[in-house]
Amino acid sequence: MNYNPTYALVLFFIIAGILYVVFRPTKGWFWIIKNNFRSNEKVVIEDVLKQLYHFESSGNKVDTKTLVQVLNFNNNQIIEVVKKMTINDLIYFEKDVLKLTDAGREYALRIVRIHRLWERYLADKTGFSKEEWHDRAEMMEHKLSHDETNSLAAHLGNPKFDPHGDPIPTITGKVAKVNGVELPLLAVNTVGRITHIEDEPEIIYKQILAENIHMGSLIRVIENNATRIVFLSEGEEFRLAPIVAANLTVAPIEKEVFIEDNIARLSSLKEEETAKIIGISKESRGESRRRLLDLGFVKGANIKIDLTNPLGDPNAYLIKGTSIALRKDQAAKILIKKD
Amino acid sequence: MDTKVKSACETCAHFNADGLKKLGISTENVDFVIALAGNPNTGKSTVFNSLTGLRQHTGNWPGKTVTRAEGGFEYNKQKFKLVDLPGTYSLLSTSEDEAAARDFILFGKPDVTVIVADANRLERNLNLVLQILEITDKAVLCLNLMDEAKRNHIMIDERTLARDLGIPVVPTSARFGQGIPELIHTISEIANGNIVCKPHRIKNVPSNIENAVKTLSSEIEKEFPNVPNSRWIAFRLLEGDTRIINALKSGELV
Amino acid sequence: MSNKNIDHILELSNELRWQIGDDFHDNLTEGIYADAAQIVSDTVQVDDSKKRFRLDRQIDKIVTSKTFGFPIMFLILATVLWLTIIGANYPSSLLAQLLLDNIHPALKSFAASISMPWWLDGFLIDGVYLAVAWVIAVMLPPMAIFFPMFTLLEDFGYLPRVAFNLDNLFRKSGAHGKQALTMTMGFGCNAAGIVATRIIDSPRERLIAIITNNFSLCNGRWPTQILIATIFIGAVAPSAFSSLISLLAVIGIAVLGMAFMFGTSWALSKTVLKGQVSTFNLELPPYRPPRFWKTIYTSLIDRTLIVLWRAIVFAAPAGAVIWLISNIYIGNESVAAWTIHSLDGFGFLLGLNGVILLAYIVAIPANEIVIPTILMLTVLVTGIDGGAGAGVMFELDSANATADVLKAGGWTLLTAINLMLFSLLHNPCSTTIYTIYKETKSAKWTAFASIMPVILGFIVTFLVAQIWRIIF
Ligand SMILES: Nc1nc2c(ncn2[C@@H]2O[C@H](COP(=O)(O)OP(=O)(O)OP(=O)(O)O)[C@@H](O)[C@H]2O)c(=O)[nH]1
Ligand SMILES: [Mg+2]
Repeated sequence: MNYNPTYALVLFFIIAGILYVVFRPTKGWFWIIKNNFRSNEKVVIEDVLKQLYHFESSGNKVDTKTLVQVLNFNNNQIIEVVKKMTINDLIYFEKDVLKLTDAGREYALRIVRIHRLWERYLADKTGFSKEEWHDRAEMMEHKLSHDETNSLAAHLGNPKFDPHGDPIPTITGKVAKVNGVELPLLAVNTVGRITHIEDEPEIIYKQILAENIHMGSLIRVIENNATRIVFLSEGEEFRLAPIVAANLTVAPIEKEVFIEDNIARLSSLKEEETAKIIGISKESRGESRRRLLDLGFVKGANIKIDLTNPLGDPNAYLIKGTSIALRKDQAAKILIKKD
Repeated sequence: MDTKVKSACETCAHFNADGLKKLGISTENVDFVIALAGNPNTGKSTVFNSLTGLRQHTGNWPGKTVTRAEGGFEYNKQKFKLVDLPGTYSLLSTSEDEAAARDFILFGKPDVTVIVADANRLERNLNLVLQILEITDKAVLCLNLMDEAKRNHIMIDERTLARDLGIPVVPTSARFGQGIPELIHTISEIANGNIVCKPHRIKNVPSNIENAVKTLSSEIEKEFPNVPNSRWIAFRLLEGDTRIINALKSGELV
Repeated sequence: MSNKNIDHILELSNELRWQIGDDFHDNLTEGIYADAAQIVSDTVQVDDSKKRFRLDRQIDKIVTSKTFGFPIMFLILATVLWLTIIGANYPSSLLAQLLLDNIHPALKSFAASISMPWWLDGFLIDGVYLAVAWVIAVMLPPMAIFFPMFTLLEDFGYLPRVAFNLDNLFRKSGAHGKQALTMTMGFGCNAAGIVATRIIDSPRERLIAIITNNFSLCNGRWPTQILIATIFIGAVAPSAFSSLISLLAVIGIAVLGMAFMFGTSWALSKTVLKGQVSTFNLELPPYRPPRFWKTIYTSLIDRTLIVLWRAIVFAAPAGAVIWLISNIYIGNESVAAWTIHSLDGFGFLLGLNGVILLAYIVAIPANEIVIPTILMLTVLVTGIDGGAGAGVMFELDSANATADVLKAGGWTLLTAINLMLFSLLHNPCSTTIYTIYKETKSAKWTAFASIMPVILGFIVTFLVAQIWRIIF
């Protein structure tokens, strides 16, 4: 065999290229083929139930045609499954409109429960980014058994809401109510709290995430017209198109609450400025929230920048006599009032 | 209940330096188990070393100790086993890195818990101190790094602190061996029941939580009359701590 | 105790939890801090009038500044390495002379005088004793310099500042800033670095830190780097610069290791260990003047001797194995020679040779013995006389003599560079593998962490070799 370094190199890159095409994350052939085996009947049934439930709770009516449009499956498969489900008494037709039976609704609630619990789990206990929560929960909702779901719920402390603010159905199928109305319905100068951020459709959700809007923050509307909605929150000004703003639910606060104008995020603190901590945004959850509290980032504590980082992030803050470094994204979740 | 707390000044006269023998790693047939708890980087391992004569690694950064270490010493013919724990900011979290320390303080049933605190940052250290005092009533506060506190012009009224916390307070500079004899003596006094503590209970809790805790802890006491820290268990159950729930089920807590 | 009553308590607690709502933890912590503030206001007095000039802050401003932060880190790393390389030279050769030139012949003649059978003599004195002696001579001096210096830095409080400065890079590669701390621990010993990852509180980032710790050059590998850099890379430079060039080469490899650490962390967090960094918080303690002599003493006694002891424990059986494989014959070739010849082809592709690959297999228990094994095996296959017989591990007194042996074995500059790369990128030693298993409790991750670096090593050396051969 003749050895030639150039040939060896070329051969190497050919092999590496093939491996890349087959195994690259998510788009690799291997994964695509693997995923195609997954969408079996159970998944379709559960997705149909869930869709019907969502349509029902938003007060919309569905016929088979719309169902086929919104679901991402082969048309024939859906029609097959719908037939089967009527036989099994999960759904029924009222003229053309599809409706859930009681058993069907119960089943749907169970799926919704798993989905939202799993999102809660991802948010509280793992480091997956927000963009990924939904897709991962979509997969998980077909996998967890009844018992697993309940022990997951117990593990999470039986939470009431998922990280977007959607209520998590209880074991018995009780669903709490989300307070508030869509943001575009609020008049200028209304003060309210964000109680829900809709995560579908994805494009809009991604825009909201990019704006860095936090669940649970107080807002004040300062402009509201057909082209844009402008509001203040945590010391920053946000401008959204009405179609994006409609995905935010805000509970207006009736009482004359005192919303302080100089509330800001810790990340906006500058060197030599001092401030007092007002609280931690609801966006910081689970273990990381607890750790911040334990480290002394509690209401009323005085804070200032101790050290700035040569690479810009993280900065070290002087709090209760100690210098503690926090990354910007965490600092953005601590609310302060500058002195 | 006898609530008299002796301060370090009163006790040092009784201290009998000849009674101390460092036992290194031999920890057989001990009379008492002593835990060393505290925030990270407060000098726990340094205290441990000066009591046992061992050389646990110390280092000036939080998180140097990650596994628990054991050693022994003998004082007035009684044998003590000392357990050096990783530092913790709080017992209220469920994070992995603090699990070892949390579990030992809660389930290791030490006879005395020595809480090592940094005198320069008393306020943030008290967060953990007050939590430990909800769990155990046999504790002593070792107010370490006093040399640095002096340099930073921080003055601490130890008598008042001891009265407020309801446990003995011993100022030390472990690195230079200062205050260690007093600490040993106090540990021995508590272990033998000569000093009885009446630990501080967390007061500034909102009333809705306080009520819930009361309801729950009286239920717990009904079920487990001997459990010393029903209030703490109630706190943890309200938080939904699975570790505690399982311990309750398995009877580990009594 | 009946379970029914416990269930009743749990039910009650669930009920109450719903009633008091989400803010329980916040309220409780705020309550505790309020208590603490009250107690502190009763008991603590700070005399502000005497606030001195805060030296701490001034130091911090400099070591974390935009202009000086990174140069200072680099300078400190360079100084520590330079002192280690320069300082270890003399005691190392002294020890080698004593243990290898004086005691070894004495032992041999003693064995001859009590007429020990040849195989026992070879096995014990040429195998076990020489391996141990080599480890002591080569490892003790650098360790005795490196560890105390490192401990001084650690006691001073500099390490958290390194983590602070580097965190942004770790964040971008999806890892935890405290990985900087475990990485520096790994410069001493990877097993210790892996145990230290317990300070990282989220499992995903901890796993990344464990898997990538092997990219920190550990104690067993520094001597290899230093030796090869001195005799091959330093030699191509003008003699005035040769020690500077070899120092830079070693630092280059260490920095390359960090680059691989960041790269692998990034790749892992984009694929199998997908996710964002959950939290990062780091307390920066005040600087504390280290207690110089005490630190030197304890780090010598503890760290140095303990690590050395471990090396000896592993080196002894490895020495025995080396002696055995070169003295057991299949047909008319020793096992060692046979294996070397079969590995030669693959070795050539990687710009290495069969000897090096076999040495790395033998040295899985302890990286420290790679170089003596290579020397011994080279002598075996080339048949040149390095001063001792087949299967005898030895250290040649001068670097020149070592270079001569290696050149006779067909070594070029490429071999040397690739050996340095491969010494950085190969499987962790057996202790480290065991520690990884203990810490992750997962055979899958242990296997991954052990095999991934070797594959990387193969790829990197392969690429370097081909490109080198195309260019030159
Ligand atoms: N000046 C001074 N320094 C001390 C004293 N006690 C401990 N130190 C130093 O404080 C640093 C931390 O000490 P350690 O004993 O490692 O602290 P630790 O509480 O065990 O820390 P973790 O194991 O990380 O929780 C070391 O550098 C010690 O030398 C003291 O009394 N005075
Ligand atoms: Mg320690």
